[in-house]
Amino acid sequence: MPHTTLTLGGMAGQGLVTISDLLLKLLARAGYHLLATQDYMSRVRGGHNFIQIGIDADRIFAPQPIINILVALDSRSIDEHRHELTAGSIVLHDSDNKPPDINGVRFAGVPMNRFANKAGNPVYANAVALGAIAALLEIGMKGVDSLLNEHFGKKGEAAVEKNVAAAHAGYDHIAKYYAETTSSLPPVKQKTRMLINGAQAIGLGMMTGGLRFISAYPMSPSTSIFNYVTASAAELGILSEQAEDEIAAVNMALGASAAGVRTAVTTSGGGLDLMAEGISLAGVAETPIVIANIMRPGPATGLPTRTGQEDLNLVLNIGHGEFPRFVFAPGTAEEAFYTAIHAMNLADKYQAPVFLLGDQQLVDSYVTLDRLNITKVRIKEHLADPAKVPAPYQRYRITPNGVSPRLPYGTPGVRVMYDSHLHEEDGHITENADIVRAMVEKRFRKLKGMVKETGKPIWYGNKKPAITLACWGTSYGASREAVDALNRAGIKAGMAHFNRLAPFPSREARVLLANKKHVHTVEGNFTGQLAQLLARETGIHSGMPVTRYDGRPITARHIIDKLKEVHGNGKFKRISL
Amino acid sequence: MGNSNAFHYEGEKAWCPGCGDFAILNAVEKALIHAGKKPEEVLTVSGIGQAAKLPHYLKSNGFNGLHGRALPPAFGAKAANHHLTVIVTSGDGDMYGEGGNHFIHAIRRNIEMTVIVHDNQVYGLTKGQASPTSDKGMKTKLQPEGVILTPFNPLAVAIALDAPFVARSFSKEIDFTADLIEQAMRYGGFALIDVLQPCVSFNKVNTYQWYQQRAYRLGPEHDPTDRAKALAKAFEWDSGIPLGVIYKNPRPGYVATVIGDTEPLLKRKVNTEKINSLLARLY
Ligand SMILES: Cc1ncc(C[n+]2csc(CCOP(=O)(O)OP(=O)(O)O)c2C)c(N)n1
Ligand code: SF4
Ligand SMILES: [Mg+2]
Repeated sequence: MPHTTLTLGGMAGQGLVTISDLLLKLLARAGYHLLATQDYMSRVRGGHNFIQIGIDADRIFAPQPIINILVALDSRSIDEHRHELTAGSIVLHDSDNKPPDINGVRFAGVPMNRFANKAGNPVYANAVALGAIAALLEIGMKGVDSLLNEHFGKKGEAAVEKNVAAAHAGYDHIAKYYAETTSSLPPVKQKTRMLINGAQAIGLGMMTGGLRFISAYPMSPSTSIFNYVTASAAELGILSEQAEDEIAAVNMALGASAAGVRTAVTTSGGGLDLMAEGISLAGVAETPIVIANIMRPGPATGLPTRTGQEDLNLVLNIGHGEFPRFVFAPGTAEEAFYTAIHAMNLADKYQAPVFLLGDQQLVDSYVTLDRLNITKVRIKEHLADPAKVPAPYQRYRITPNGVSPRLPYGTPGVRVMYDSHLHEEDGHITENADIVRAMVEKRFRKLKGMVKETGKPIWYGNKKPAITLACWGTSYGASREAVDALNRAGIKAGMAHFNRLAPFPSREARVLLANKKHVHTVEGNFTGQLAQLLARETGIHSGMPVTRYDGRPITARHIIDKLKEVHGNGKFKRISL
Repeated sequence: MGNSNAFHYEGEKAWCPGCGDFAILNAVEKALIHAGKKPEEVLTVSGIGQAAKLPHYLKSNGFNGLHGRALPPAFGAKAANHHLTVIVTSGDGDMYGEGGNHFIHAIRRNIEMTVIVHDNQVYGLTKGQASPTSDKGMKTKLQPEGVILTPFNPLAVAIALDAPFVARSFSKEIDFTADLIEQAMRYGGFALIDVLQPCVSFNKVNTYQWYQQRAYRLGPEHDPTDRAKALAKAFEWDSGIPLGVIYKNPRPGYVATVIGDTEPLLKRKVNTEKINSLLARLY
C-alpha cells in the first residue's frame, strides 16, 4: 500500500521545524512509521523550504514524488508543489490567502494567522496548523494536548494554555467546515516508536563506540553530527573542539589519538579535501581516526544543503601515498548507528583511517525505529597491555598481522614515537630500502584481517531476479522500494546493498552479482562510481547506472523511470508506485 | 651531563656541523633535566623542517607530523592527556608560514604548552628559500632580486594576540635558553620562545656574528607585564635584539579552564547509562 505523504511548506523562519518536530513526535508516539525528509535552501530567512513526511503502518525507506496532504504556510508553497498534487490531495492553507483552482484537489482553509493573533501572538499559528493537521488525519486531540503541555511546559502555564487553545481552534475549524475533507491513516498498534535522524544515529554510534575527542570545522550538511555530539559531550566526558580549519581539525584528532583516545572528525567534501594530507599522515603514522564525510553535491561549494553521493572515489583515494583504509556507507539511520560503533572499534583495531560516508538525506531525515541496541556491538579495548609488550617498545613493531602493539604517551618506562616519514620499527626516520619495504608490507598485511570485518553486501528481494540493483549509502532506501514495486508488478527484482566499500568485499560481490542479468547501480552521482568500483574490483561490468545528480533524493519512481529508458516501457507499465 | 641525561640520544643527527639546532636540542635536554622531568612524561611535537627533526633526537615521546601542522596534534595530545608536558619544536617556515593560521588560533586557544621556534630566517631543509622572517633584501634562488616581502614579526603578533608568555633567545646562549624553556614549561599557558638560530649553510646574512653583534639580554628594568613596552621591544631589530621574556600576561590555560582538575580523557570509559538516557530522549 502506498503510504500517506504529508508535505509542510513555507519560508525559512516560518516555524516549519517546530510544526514538523511536534507532528513527528505525535505520530511516532501513536505507533506510526515515519520518514521525514527535509528540503532546505541554503538561507536563513525567506525562500521556500519543505519537509516531506511519509506516514505508514510499516517502515518507510524512501520519499515519494507525490503529496497527499500539503500544509502550505505561504502561497508560494502551493505553486512550488502543484505538480505533485493529484486528484484527492488535500491542501491546508490560510483561508486569508485565496488558493488557486487545481483540478480534483481539495482545499481546506483555516484562518491560521487570525486564530493565532486571537490566542495572543502570531507564533501560535504553528499550534493552529498542528491542530488542523490532527483533524485532517483524524487522530484526535488527546496526543496534541499532552505534547503541547510537554513541549511548552518550560515556558509556563500561560504558554501551554495559549498553544492548546490555538491548536483546538485549528482542529475545530476543520471538524466543523471540512468534516469530509480528511485522509485517515491505516490502523496501527499503539506503541511509542523511537524517532531519530542520521546525524543523531552517527553521533550516538560514535559515543557508544568510545569517542573521547571530536574536532571539526562547521560545514553543511555534516554540522548536525558535530552539534549533536557536542550537546552531550560534557555529560559523557568527551572533549569537543571547534578547530580553526579542517586541517587543524584532523591533525588535532591525530594528536589525541596518538595519546590513546578514540577520536573522530566530521566534515563535508571541501573540508575533506583540506584534510587530505592529515589522512595520509594517519595512514603512515598508523593513527586511528574516524572521518565522517557527509557529502554535498557538486564540486567546490556545490549545493551546501542538498543531497548527493559524489565522494566515493574521493574517499577511496584521498591522501597521497598508499595505505589501507576502511570506507563505509550505511544505508539507513539504523545501519549508520551500528556502523559508527564498528568504525570506532575498527580504527582502533587496525590503527588506520575509517571513513563513514553519509549525505544530507541520511543525516537530516527522521525515521522511526523500534530500538537501538547499544550492546549489540562489543566495544573492545585495542591498546596494548604494557606488561605484555616486548622490550624495547617499538611503536611500529613488525608483526605477522601487520598491527603493532599500541601504547599511549605517558606509559611508564616507554618511549612512543609517531612519525610521518617512512620509519623504522621504533618510529625513527629511515631511508633504508629494506626497512621501507618491510614497513610497507607490514601495513598492507592488515588488509587480510580488514576484509573479513563487518559490512559485507546484503541481498534484498528475489533470489533469481530479472533485474538487479546495486546500491551504496542512502540509495538503499529508494532501491528497496523500487525492488518491492517491481516484484509487486511481477518483474522479478533483487538488490545488493554495499555498506563497506573498502576494503571491497570482492568475493561476496561476485557471489551476489556475477551471474545476474541486468545489473544496474543506483547512485546519487553522474559517473556511476559504484559501477566503476565493481568493474575494478570484480571485473563485473554492470549496465547503465541509475543516477541522479540534481541534489534531490533518489526515489523509487526515479529508478523505475530510468529503467524504462534502458529496457523499454513494455513490462514496466504494470508497475504501481 | 653524561649518563644522568636520560633524554640524550646517541645516534646520528642529520644537521650540518655548526648548525644552531644542536645548541637548542642541548638547551631542551638541560631544561627537562633541571625541571626533573622523566622521558615518559614529556611529548615533543613537530612539523617538518630541520628544526622539526628534534623529536627524533630526544629520548622521550614524539609526534613528528606534517609540515606546518605541529600545533594541532600538540593540542590534541595535551587535551587527551593533560598530565603530559608538551613541547613543540618548529622552524620559522613551519610555524609562521605553512602553519600561520594554527599559530594565531593556538595562541587564542591557549593550551598549556611550550612552543620553541628555531628561527633561522630561512628554509633550511629545502635548501635556502626565503622564510616569513627573512630580512628584506636577502637573495636566494627564489628571491634572486632579494626578499621584498615585509618580514613577519612573531613576537609582535603574539603580543597583539595577548599570548601569555612571549620570549626570545639566541641558540648560542644555551643556559639562558634552557632557563627560558623551564620558565615556559612552568608557566601554564601557551608559551612562545622564538630562538634565533644561525643556519650556517643557507643564511649568509644572519650569521652567528650578525646575531652576536645585536643581541642583548633584557635587564630588570624591562617590565614584561607592560604590553605597550613589550610591543616596542618586539619591534627592536637592526639596532639591537632584546633576549629574554618580552611579554607576560598570566591567564588560566585551556586545561585549567576547559578540562579542569579531572582525570584525563585517556582514562575515561563509556558511560552506558548516559548513552541510554540519550536514547530515551528520542521517544
Ligand atoms: C606540505 C608541504 N609543503 C612543503 C614541504 C617542503 N618543506 C619541508 S620543510 C620546509 C621549510 C622548512 O623551513 P623551516 O620551517 O624554517 O625549517 P628549517 O628547515 O629552516 O629548520 C618545506 C618548504 C613539505 N614537507 N610539506
Ligand atoms: S641547513 Fe641550516 S638549519 Fe639546516 S641543518 Fe644545516 S645549518 Fe642547520
Ligand atoms: Mg627555518
